[in-house]
Formats: sequence, C-alpha cells, structure tokens
Amino acid sequence: MTDVLVVDDEPQIRRALRRALEAQDYEVIVAENGEEGLARAAAGEPDLVVLDLGLPDLDGTEVIRRLRSWTDVPVIVLSVRDGRSDKIDALDAGADDYVTKPFDVEELLARMRAALRRRAEERPPEPKLRFGELEVDLARRRVLQGEHPVHLTPNEYGLLEAMVTNPGKLLTHAWLLRKVWGRGYGTESHYLHVYVRQLRQKLGDDAAMPRYIVTEPGVGYRWGPDPDREPGQPSSSMSGSSDSHGVR
Amino acid sequence: MKRFLASRSASGVGVVAMGVLAPAGAVAIALALGSRNLAAATSLCLLAVVVAAAVGGRGSGVLAAFLSFLGLNYFFTEPHHTLSVRNAGDVVALIAFLLSALVVGALVSAVRAERARAERRATEAQLLNRTTERFISREPLALVLEGLAEALVTLFGLARCEFVTAHGVGTAIDALRDEPPGPAVTFPLETRSGSFGTLTVERAADRGPLSPSELALVRAVASQTALAIERAALDDQVRMARLEAESSELRAAILASVTHDLRTPLASIKASASGLLAEGAHYTEDEVRDVLRTVIEDADHLNLVLANLLDLARTRAGELIPSTQPILIEEVIGAVLQRMARRLDRVSIRTTIRPDLPAAEADPVQIGQVLANILENAARFSPDGSTIEISAARWRSSVQVRVTDQGPGIPTEDRERVFEEFYRRDAGGARGGTGLGLAISRAIVHAHGGTISVGSAPTGGAALTFQLPIAERGSTAVAPARSSEAAT
Repeated sequence: MTDVLVVDDEPQIRRALRRALEAQDYEVIVAENGEEGLARAAAGEPDLVVLDLGLPDLDGTEVIRRLRSWTDVPVIVLSVRDGRSDKIDALDAGADDYVTKPFDVEELLARMRAALRRRAEERPPEPKLRFGELEVDLARRRVLQGEHPVHLTPNEYGLLEAMVTNPGKLLTHAWLLRKVWGRGYGTESHYLHVYVRQLRQKLGDDAAMPRYIVTEPGVGYRWGPDPDREPGQPSSSMSGSSDSHGVR
Repeated sequence: MKRFLASRSASGVGVVAMGVLAPAGAVAIALALGSRNLAAATSLCLLAVVVAAAVGGRGSGVLAAFLSFLGLNYFFTEPHHTLSVRNAGDVVALIAFLLSALVVGALVSAVRAERARAERRATEAQLLNRTTERFISREPLALVLEGLAEALVTLFGLARCEFVTAHGVGTAIDALRDEPPGPAVTFPLETRSGSFGTLTVERAADRGPLSPSELALVRAVASQTALAIERAALDDQVRMARLEAESSELRAAILASVTHDLRTPLASIKASASGLLAEGAHYTEDEVRDVLRTVIEDADHLNLVLANLLDLARTRAGELIPSTQPILIEEVIGAVLQRMARRLDRVSIRTTIRPDLPAAEADPVQIGQVLANILENAARFSPDGSTIEISAARWRSSVQVRVTDQGPGIPTEDRERVFEEFYRRDAGGARGGTGLGLAISRAIVHAHGGTISVGSAPTGGAALTFQLPIAERGSTAVAPARSSEAAT
C-alpha cells in the first residue's frame, strides 16, 4: 500500500482528494494545517505528500523546508497560487512538482506516479534509459533515435541528462543552469532557451506540441515521458537523482 | 480732458511744447525765406496749428493759434516788430486767421479725439472678448482671473486689482509702481442666481479716480466674470453627474457580464450533474463520460473567466504590470495548448513556428492568458472538425503571433469593438463568450508595448494578430560551452 499525506485546510478538497486517491488504491492520511501535516509526516512516514500552500498556520513553503530538514519524501504542491514566483519558491524549497487548483485529478495522479517511480527505482549506475525510440546511454553519454545516433554538444547532453534522470519532475531554470553550467549560473534563462531549442530540434521535438520537453512557462522544464521499464533490471540508488532544487 | 485715457493724452508739457514749437517753426521758416509776405506766413502758420492740434490735441491747437496770431502780428504786419497794426486790411486778415485757425484746430483735434475713443473702444472690446475667451478656454479659474487682473491693471493704470471668489479662489495683482493707492472701488461678482465674490480696483492716487465709462467697463468685466464662474460651477456639476452615470452604467455592464459568464457554466455543471443523479435516468457509460467531460470543460471555462476578472480588477487598479523576461513564444503556445487540450478537442490545431524566431520580452503567465483568450474565442466560433492555425514569426522588431480560425469571421465594422470590455458578438447559437477576454488581452499586450488587431483569414475566418517586442538579450546569446568532453 502507498501512503499519501494530504495537507489542505479546505474540507471539500480533502474529501475530493480522499475519494479520488482511494479509488486508485492509495492509503490517504489527511491533515488540516501545517503543524498537523508535519506531525503526521513524522509519525506516519508517508510515501508522498500533497501539500496546499495557503495553510492557516504555516506557509506551505515553510512546511516544505521543515520536511526537507529530515526527509526526502516527494512533495507535490497543490495550490491556487499561480504566480511564477510562488512556483519557483516552492520548488526551490524542495517541492518535486507543482499543480495549480483547479486541477485535473488525472494530471495530479500522473505527477504522483512519476514522483513515486523516481523514488522507487532510483537510477541504476549505468543504465540505458528508453523513451519509445529514444535511447539515452548515461554511461557512454550516447543518444540514439531509433538506429540513428543523435549528436549533441556537451551542454545539450548535460541538459538532456539532467532532465531524463528526473522524468516528470518540474526542474526550474535556476536548477538546470546550475546543474549544467555550474554554480556561477542561475539567472541566465536565455542560455537555456538557446540550448533547449537546439536539443528539441535534434530530438525532433516540437515545443508547441511537445513529446519530450514540456515547458512550464517562466518556471522551468519537465521531461514528459516516463522511461520504458525493463523488467528484471536491478534497481539501486544513485546519489544526485533525488536532489532538491537549488541552493537554500 | 477727463475723457481721455491718461495714457493716451499728451502730457501738459507736451501740449505746451507742441503749441509753442509748431508756430515758432512756421514763423522761423517764413522769416528764413526772407519774405515779409503776410499771405505766405499765414498759410505756414495755419499748417503749424493743424500739426499742433493733430499731435498735441485741442490745447496745443489753441495755443498754436494764439501764438501764430501774435507772431504774424509782430513779424509780418506793418509796422514790423510791434504788436500794433497800421493797416486795416491786415487787421481783418489777422482776425480771420485767428478764427479760422481756432476752427481748424478744433476740427483736427476733434478727429484726433474721435480716433482715440475708437481705439479705446476697440481695446475695451478686446478686453471683454479676451475675458470671454479665457473663460471658455477651460483654463483653471485662478489662472484666468490672474490674466484678467493683469489686463485691468495695464489698461486702467491701476495700483491694485483683486478678485476674491466665494469658494476661495482669489488673485490680486499689484502694479509695479511705488505710488500710493487711491480710493478702492469694489464690485460684486453677481448673477441672477447669486453672488460669487468681489472685484476690487484701486487706481494710483496721482491718476485720479476712474471715469464713469471706465467704471462701467470694470462693472461689465465683473458681471462677465460672475457669469463665467457660475457656468464653470454648472459644468462641474454636469460633468460629475455624467461621470457618475457612466460608472454606474459600467458597473451594471460588469454585473450583467459577470452574472452571465459565471452563471452559464455553473448552470451547465449543475444540469449535467443533477441529470446523472436524476431518478430513472439511463445513461450508457459513454454518455456518462460525455456528460462529465462537459462538466470539466465548463469548470475550465469558469476558471478562465475568473482569471480575466482578476486581470480586469488589476487593470482598473493600474496593477497589470507585466513581469517580463525573454520567452520563447512556442513554449507558451505549447503550455496553453496542453492546458486547453480538452476545450480544443473538437478542432484540429496546426502550429507554424519559424525555427529562427527570436525570444520575446514578455510575461509568460500574462501572454499565456492572452493566448488562452484568443484560442477560447477561436474555438467558440469554429465549426467541429475545422482547423485553428497558430503561427509565429519575426515581423520587423517584434515577434508576431497570429491565430486564424475557419469560423464566420468578424465583420469589418466590429473589428474595433471586439476589444471593448463586455462586448459580446452574436455567437449565433455558439456558446456565450466572456465579453472580456479580448479586452483583457488588449490591455495585457499594450502593457507589453505591443499591438493587437483583428482581421480576416484567407479562409474567411477571423485572424487575431499580436506583436511583442523582441528580447534584447537572449535572441542571439550563446551560452559558454561546458568544458567537459563532447558527447556523441
């Protein structure tokens, strides 16, 4: 059974979520405010947290920070706030994803599944990741589209690697810049534009109707598809794949 | 001499000078010509009297006439250099000269005075005209009164001119002269409907009191001023009333629009849900899914309407300020298409993005809202199975986005009106619009320094086009290469 902690002060939302999640065979724990949420997280050690930002006692971003001081449980923010800075703040504090209300349960479920899968199958050290006909060989830094090799520059490959190793996760501009270009970077989102566009071209992806790289405008990028599962492959953990977003 | 405006009449010294110099000159010329001919000298002296009267006025003319008479008597009648006259004919000539000189002088000076009066009347008329004009010009009252006071001071040689109005606007002009002021005269600024203040004028002590005609003129200015103040007050009342009417009209429109836009999807949601629950309802599983899809679509529409209302409130409060950054427009298009996938599943979408399209300097969230509104609008007028085309290209120094549909199009005469708040096109049975989406979109695009317009697509449908400025940074920037080995 997978335990999901829902922290939201609105009873209708708690009720709707409980019904929708239980219908998908999740075990649902609810909390009405930040303190209660933190307490239940500590007591129940849930597999995933769905967190509202506008809580009566603590701000949701603060709840994420406190959670991150002792656990890397996946946190999905569910909020009416749709400003860019709200999203970036929550992601920088360590949230895995951000869904705005009103939300589509199907979308929330997809994000939850992606986050749970990232946790469950932390990347093997030398895997090949497959996304349909796209194959990324992390060990040999090689990318194949069907039979054909895709030639990428180091920056393009760095971007691709950062994304495919965090499938479904919303990666902020600042996080990607630091991951690929290093610590000195973080605000040069126009670098990303240039390289994401080139990467898309080489992968045959279309920004307006993306197959691989999905945009969260002004916030970041998400690698859309889940990797194809190869049964029987041993799963082991790889440090760095459960990284939180950026420096606190 | 009272009738003459002080500034217009020659001074006392001038009167004497003209009266003396003109005949002296005439006598001197006659003597210089070496003639003792009384007739020639008489003619010259008559000319001198005319000149003196024309330049110096009646006083100069009379003085010149008598001096000429004496001069002629002294220099040109026998015996010379005495004031006695030997010849009876000369006596007649001299007396005739004096009389005709006096008459001519009087006539000439009367013409001169008449001209001066005409000039003054013109000045007075000009003053009254200017007063009226300035009041009509809608300049602030204080400014108009100040200009008027200055004109009065100049025209009447006042030491001081002061307007005091009933509602506290006042102005006082002091002449730049160190002359003690004479008695003050105060005129009420009155109309039939009431009193609006006072006008006080003080003539400099040495200029004497104002003449009756001057007083009449000042009184005329005072009553015009009163009328103007009264009219300005009435105008203000009318303007306020009109503003109030307009804003209450707008409030009514907002209320009607909000009620319509929020209630319609709500009604649909409630009808769908209660229909599913209704006793004896038989739905196939596909029908249930279809009904629920409608519910979700309506909820999405409600969400868009709410976002627009929020933006409307921000616009009203002057808070619709874009927080811009370089954005790739195709990414915003992609995000909006994903968000609206359900709403757009009746139509097919074709996107054409130039691969070398530069980044735009824009607020990604706000531009997403613009695109959502335009697409919502296009979807509403699109027949099932038709195509909505989205294209983005560089146009001059902007990124241009164009959305065309295959709907009925928008008539030329309505093309400006679609951007008006709460304007709703007759959807001809199509689902009701927000009436707000395009107005908000225009406000957002304008806040970006861009433009938005509507035209027609080659297919006859509507074509909405907007432009955003190209980002200075980012369009051609090349990031530094990473120093690790190249991936293959």
